[in-house]
Amino acid sequence: MLSSLRSGVQFLWRVPSRALQTTSTLQHDSLFVHRDTLEDNSSIPFEFSPANQKRVDALLAIYPEGHKRGAMIPLLDLAQRQNGGWLPISAMHKVAEVLNLPRMRVYEVATFYTMFIRRPIGKYHVQVCTTTPCWLRGSDVVLNAIKEATGCEVGGNSPCGKFSISEVECLGACVNAPMIQVNDDYYEDLTVEDTKEIIDKLKKDEKPMPGPRSGRFASEPLGGLTSLTEEPTGPGFGLQDALKS
Amino acid sequence: MAGRETMKTTCRVVKPLMSTDFCEARRRAIGLYRAFYRYIPYIHKYFDIPKSESQIRSKIREQFYKNACVTDIRIIDILVMKGYMELQEIKYSWQQKGHVMANWKPTIEPRPTDFISKFLNGKD
Amino acid sequence: MLRQPLTRALALSSPSRVAPLAARRFADQVQAQPDKVEVFIDDKPVYVPPGTTVLQAAAEVGVEIPRFCYHERLAVAGNCRMCLVEVEKSPKPVAACAMPVMKGMRVKTNSDLTRKAREGVMEFLLVNHPLDCPICDQGGECDLQDQSMAFGSDRSRFTDIHFSGKRAVEDKDVGPLIKTIMTRCIHCTRCIRFASEVAGIDDLGTTGRGTDMQVGTYVEKMFLSELSGNVIDLCPVGALTSKPYSFAARPWETRRIDSVDVLDPLGSNIVVATRTNEVLRILPRTNEEINEEWLSDKSRFACDGLKRQRLVTPMVKDSRGNLTPVEWEDAIVAAARALRDCPSDKLLAVAGDLADAESLVALKDFVNRLGSENTCTEQFFPAEGSGTDLRSSYLLNTKIANVEGADFVLLIGTNVRFEAPLLNARIRKAFIHKETDVALIGPKVDLTYDYTHVGDSASLVKDLATGTSSNEILKRLESAKRPVVILGADQLKTEEGAALLAYTQELALRLQDNLQDKEWKVLNVLQRTASQVAALDIGYRPGVGAALAAGPRVVYLLGADSGIVTREALPKDAVVIYQGHHGDAGASIADIVLPGAAYTEKRATYVNAEGRAQQTLVAVTPPGLAREDWKIIRALSEVAGAGLPYDTLDEVRERLNQVSPALVAYGDVQPNNYFAQARALAKSLQKPVSGKLDVQLKQLEDYFMTDAISRASPTMAKCVQAVLKQKTAPY
Repeated sequence: MLSSLRSGVQFLWRVPSRALQTTSTLQHDSLFVHRDTLEDNSSIPFEFSPANQKRVDALLAIYPEGHKRGAMIPLLDLAQRQNGGWLPISAMHKVAEVLNLPRMRVYEVATFYTMFIRRPIGKYHVQVCTTTPCWLRGSDVVLNAIKEATGCEVGGNSPCGKFSISEVECLGACVNAPMIQVNDDYYEDLTVEDTKEIIDKLKKDEKPMPGPRSGRFASEPLGGLTSLTEEPTGPGFGLQDALKS
Repeated sequence: MAGRETMKTTCRVVKPLMSTDFCEARRRAIGLYRAFYRYIPYIHKYFDIPKSESQIRSKIREQFYKNACVTDIRIIDILVMKGYMELQEIKYSWQQKGHVMANWKPTIEPRPTDFISKFLNGKD
Repeated sequence: MLRQPLTRALALSSPSRVAPLAARRFADQVQAQPDKVEVFIDDKPVYVPPGTTVLQAAAEVGVEIPRFCYHERLAVAGNCRMCLVEVEKSPKPVAACAMPVMKGMRVKTNSDLTRKAREGVMEFLLVNHPLDCPICDQGGECDLQDQSMAFGSDRSRFTDIHFSGKRAVEDKDVGPLIKTIMTRCIHCTRCIRFASEVAGIDDLGTTGRGTDMQVGTYVEKMFLSELSGNVIDLCPVGALTSKPYSFAARPWETRRIDSVDVLDPLGSNIVVATRTNEVLRILPRTNEEINEEWLSDKSRFACDGLKRQRLVTPMVKDSRGNLTPVEWEDAIVAAARALRDCPSDKLLAVAGDLADAESLVALKDFVNRLGSENTCTEQFFPAEGSGTDLRSSYLLNTKIANVEGADFVLLIGTNVRFEAPLLNARIRKAFIHKETDVALIGPKVDLTYDYTHVGDSASLVKDLATGTSSNEILKRLESAKRPVVILGADQLKTEEGAALLAYTQELALRLQDNLQDKEWKVLNVLQRTASQVAALDIGYRPGVGAALAAGPRVVYLLGADSGIVTREALPKDAVVIYQGHHGDAGASIADIVLPGAAYTEKRATYVNAEGRAQQTLVAVTPPGLAREDWKIIRALSEVAGAGLPYDTLDEVRERLNQVSPALVAYGDVQPNNYFAQARALAKSLQKPVSGKLDVQLKQLEDYFMTDAISRASPTMAKCVQAVLKQKTAPY
């Protein structure tokens, strides 16, 4: 995910032919082992809230007896939402307990999926897509604008604790590149100004308008339709005369 | 064909070393024995070994009887020659006290044969 | 409840992987043999049952397909891709370990495509594998090394590691037995599958994804199990290696001697690796009837106890009461004088946990020649009823391998997980793959699988035996086709032991009589030590209680280190002669110490809990002045004026043969009979019982140090420490 960083490093560090072998840089912005911290350790209790407990029961009811572990990802997601966007170790333990599974099986799933975030995270998790279409349309400047506006590095939290930035791979909105995702909302067709405005609004805990910023409704062409401009024809269009009754 | 070969090897006439027949070989052996026998007092005198003349005599006799079964005259001749060499080594003090005493093998202990001594020696 | 994910269940239930040899006889009786399909491996036709994998079919015709993740005793994972083979009419190579055969399939295991696929896989594996073979403990027995020689390319095209570096993974602390160098891991997941399927400790897993994926425990937790050492053997590379053995030797430097383990009653088959007269490590040896290819941690790692606390010279107490080293002559004469001067009714011989059959028979003959009948074992067994006269009442009659064919297992007063870890692994195997149910009467312990806890009162056994129990277990037992009842020998120590045994016999034999399968044996008694069965076969009286109460003047301890015979229990002037290999409880109370040989230092017979005689071989010579045990007794008998009539091992074994041919039928196990007679004799002993059943080994920390060798082992001490530390850890 730190692709831009790595390309920069490679540019500076020209490797001579007899270079020593070093270990590779970590390719992920999170560790795949757990380290006890003050915010995240097993002694911090985690319980599902009463409202969520109902959801837990409903989720478990979907899966037949003997296959309850299928509910693991929904439950983890529920726990993550309840816990302000990140998944502490005690929540994983709780899910393991609910599903009657060894804890390791839950750790495996929680570490595999990048959308489970296992470190304390800001209230607004800004995920910037930097995959090719977005990158071609200027995701780098958008990312820099976000960094500037929030004072936060990729993979870290802002000093105010409100924001976290992640660089992510394609979020499936290439037609509206460049785009970012803040918590559950997509903000598309961004410019630097749009981005700054979004961050400013979030700083004031206002909800910016999600969706494309270019004035488009969705993914239609920006300059108006170039085809299918006329009214749709009715049934029986193009049918040969002989078949018309 | 094969039979003739066998005949040839078994009846092969060997070239004598010194003696031509058994009697002559026997005579030479007895001559060696006599030579040793006569030298016993000097062995006892010069080498200062803790053995009496009669013990030396019986040791020489024992060494001769060790080869009593040898019938091949060529081997007898060789043994006799080696015996004379030995005698000469003793006569000229080429052999020392230790060499002479080695005939009695004073430092070699017999291997244990019964269970308990095998056990105590830790040998099988 | 499903005991495993569905995919695994399907993969595992292919006929050929289920039960080896003996167990299969019972397992497959119900289902008819399905038609076989013909497949061609390298144009050689082979007929295999449907559901067999390509890899197994190839093994049938002797074609070895390289593999890393596939292991015949574990579920199929199919993630290493090393077993790719070309199948005709298949567009791409298929993974042989996971591909079931189809009719008329033509597999090419040596075609260009196959070779190229293997070479490619090797290349990928080696991109991120460190080239540290010279400092790797697996070197010389490494699957990756061997297979890269055989199937790999001689060069790599991956030059980008010069720019980005090799993948590196931090090492994990998984306990005092296993050293991890996780950078070497090739993610075959054998250790993970072993931990969850066989050991039942779901602590290992893969975390992360892609190039950052790693095998480990995620949290800081040690992998502590009584079977954990097996992941060292399973690991195809040097990621998991033995910590006590680290940097000790290369495999080609060691001499390997086949032997038998004596630290638990199962008599697992082992290979002792030695160099310069030193036991370096112990590895399991495959024996489908006993240990498959696993070995418990105590058997594997307690071997460093063989170098410590050893008795290396005979000792006699001097006038000040200190044990002083003396020559063998003096020690033997002192011992012989004590024995000769002792009135024959005041003489007591006690055999301990690790005594071999040869020394047991020699000691018994010797004591008998001195006019005494007082030969006892430390472990108790009731003498009432049929007592030890009928072999069936103190053996594992079902046989270890057959336990996995059982459909209901009732454990009475035994924590089989720690008393016989590999028997527990068999029960777990049956539990997982065969839907076998387990019930336990006794204290609640962790057996690594779910079981019905009936209670811990002895009267439950009585109710079950008399058929008056209202517990649904009784119904389950009676409806079971192949039930197994295992009684822990520890329970027989108490006052009610005889009654408990009688009820267990009654229950088991009542079930057995109603079975359709007349060959199936239900009754099992699980002994605690390796020597007990041989001692009872030879005619030792179990338990020292009565003999101790009679106030013996001379006590001869043959490796009796359980602390059952104490100084306090003996008269003041009693002479204690201790013969054994470790300075433990026995030697500390002795007046005369005769140093013997441990199980790696002598050729000796041991009879395991199912009554199977096996022999150990000499791997190293006994240290110092120590001698083989039967020879010490033979020498002593001669000095004491009661010489035994055998001088060589063969003659001793001839004597064993006279006592019981089963003692010298090596590797074989005799079928047991006279169940009905034992049951009839036990009828009179069925008295009411009220006590509670308790087991000695409840937790993992109790397991590691149970006998003289493991108590002397620093590795075992570290294990106990690690378990206690783990208990205070948050995860």
